[in-house]
Amino acid sequence: MRTNILGVYDDEHDVMHAVDKLQEGGIVVADVFSPFPLHGIWDKLKQTTYLPYATFAYGLVGGIATFALLYWTSVINYPLKFGGKPLNTLSFIIIMFVLTILIGTVFTALTFFIRQKLYPGKEVEMPDVRTVDDKFVIVIEKPEDIDDVELRKIKSLLTETGAVEINESDVEYEA
Amino acid sequence: MDKKVQLSGKFKIAMIVLIVVGLISVAIGFLTEDGERAWANLLLNNYYFLSIALGATFWLAIQAVTQSGWSIAYIRVPQAMSNYFIVSMLLFAVMFLGVHDLYHWSHADAVAADPILQHKSPYLNIPFFTIRYVVFFALWILLSLRIKKLSLQEDKIGGISFFNKIEMTSKIFIFVFAVSFSLFSIDWLMSLDAHWYSTIYVVKKFIMAFFHGASVITAIVIILYKLGYFPMLTKKHLHDFSRYIWALSLIWGYMWLSQYLLIWYANIPEETIYYIPREMGEFKSLFYTELIMNWTFPFFFLMWNRIAKSANWLLFTVAVLIIGQWVELYMSIMPGTLDSYGIGIIEIGTFIGSLGLFALVVGTSLSKMPIIPQNHPYLIESTTEEH
Repeated sequence: MRTNILGVYDDEHDVMHAVDKLQEGGIVVADVFSPFPLHGIWDKLKQTTYLPYATFAYGLVGGIATFALLYWTSVINYPLKFGGKPLNTLSFIIIMFVLTILIGTVFTALTFFIRQKLYPGKEVEMPDVRTVDDKFVIVIEKPEDIDDVELRKIKSLLTETGAVEINESDVEYEA
Repeated sequence: MDKKVQLSGKFKIAMIVLIVVGLISVAIGFLTEDGERAWANLLLNNYYFLSIALGATFWLAIQAVTQSGWSIAYIRVPQAMSNYFIVSMLLFAVMFLGVHDLYHWSHADAVAADPILQHKSPYLNIPFFTIRYVVFFALWILLSLRIKKLSLQEDKIGGISFFNKIEMTSKIFIFVFAVSFSLFSIDWLMSLDAHWYSTIYVVKKFIMAFFHGASVITAIVIILYKLGYFPMLTKKHLHDFSRYIWALSLIWGYMWLSQYLLIWYANIPEETIYYIPREMGEFKSLFYTELIMNWTFPFFFLMWNRIAKSANWLLFTVAVLIIGQWVELYMSIMPGTLDSYGIGIIEIGTFIGSLGLFALVVGTSLSKMPIIPQNHPYLIESTTEEH
C-alpha cells in the first residue's frame, strides 16, 4: 500500500504556481487533480500519452475497412449500376469520411476506458473526492522510508504556496 | 517593448525592383498579346493579395471576438496587412478599364442575345457592379482603420474601454466581411463564367481567404521572429498558428469536395460545364495540384507534432500554400477567360510585382507602429509561458 501527501488548494493559479515551486525544490509531483482541465499542467508534470497515435491507427484502419466494405458490397457482391455512375464511385468518400471519424472516436474512447479501468458502476478511487467539486489537489508520493526533514520541507512548501489543507491518503488510484 | 520594425534600404530597393519587374511583365502582356491575358493576370493577383489582407483582418477580428489571449502579441501583423485595402482599392479601380475584356456580361449586345444574362442583368450590370465595389471597399477600409486606430490609442492610454470597442467593431466586421466578400467573389470571379453558378463557390473563397490569410500571418511572424522582433515566440505560439493552418486546410478540402462532389453526382450539363476544361481540358494538370497543395500536403504534413511546432517547417508549409492559393485562383479565373493554358513570364512577373507591392505596404505599415501592442489586457497572458 502506498501513501500520498495531498496538498488541497482553492485556486487553480495557486496550483500552477505551487507545482513550479515544488519542482524547483526538487520534489516530484506525482499528479494533480482538478475539477476542470488546467491549461499547461500537462507540460509541467511532463506527462506523455500515446492516445493520439492510437486514434491515428484506428482512423487509418477504420478508413481502409470502410472502403473494403463499400467496395465489396457495391462492386463485388452486388454490382448495381445506378445514375450512370461507376461502381467504384467517388461518393464512397462521404461514408469513408464519416465512418473514419466514428471508428476513430469510439475506439479511442474505449481504449481510454480500458486503460483507466473504468466501467459503469465503478467505485470512486480518488485521493480526495472534493476535486470533482471545487478543490484542487496536488499529489506527492510518500515513500515509507521518508525522513522527517524531507517531509517537513514538502509540507512547508505546500503551506507557503497557499494550500488550505494538507492531508495524507492511501487510496490507490489509476494514474 | 515599443520597438518598431526597421526597414533596411536594401529591402525597399528589392521590393521596388520586384514591382518594376511586375510592371514590365504587365506591359509585355499588353504589347505582345491581346489584353485579355494581362487583365486576367492582374485580376488574379489583385484578388489574391486582397483576399490575404481580408483573411488576415478576419483572423484579427476572430481573436478579438473570442477574446483570445495567446495571439495578442502578434496582432500588429494582420493590422499592418489590412493597410493593403487602400492600395487594393486603387488597383481594382484600374481593373475597370479591363471589364469589357474579362466579363462576357458587360457587353450590351451579348446580354440582348442571351436570356440567361438578361435574367441576371438586374444584378450583373456595370453601374451596380461599381456601386458594390465602392461600398465594399469603403466598409473594409473604415472598419479596419477603426480597429487599428483603437488599438493604437490603447497603446497610449490603456484601459478596458478600447478592448470592448475593438470587440464590437470586430463583430461588425465579421458580418460585413461574410456578406461583402461573398458578393465580391461573385462579382469579380464567379461572373467570369456568367452562365454558371455554384452556391458553395463563395464559401470556398471565404475559407480560402481565411486559410491563406492565417498562413501569411504565420510566415510574417516567423520571419520577424528570425529577425529578432518577437523574442517571446514559443513552441506553443507556433503550435497555435499551425493549428489554424491545419484546421483551415481541412475545411478548405471539405469545401472543395462539397462543390465538386455535388456537381459530379447531380451530373447536370449546365453545372458540369465548369469542370470540363478544368478536369479534362487543357487545365487538367493543375486540377489535382490545387487539391494536393492546399489540402493533402498541409493536412498530413502538419499532423506531425514536431513539424507543427518547428518554425522552419511551418515557413516551408506556408511557402507551398502561397503557391497553392495562386494555383487555386488560376483555376478559378483562367479557364473562364482564356482559351489556352500557359504559365509564362506574364504570369510569374505579375505575381512577383504584386508580391513586392504587398510586402512593401505591409513592411512600411509595420515600421510605423510598435510591433507589440503595449497596453492590451491580455498582453501578459500572450507573452508569458502560461497562455
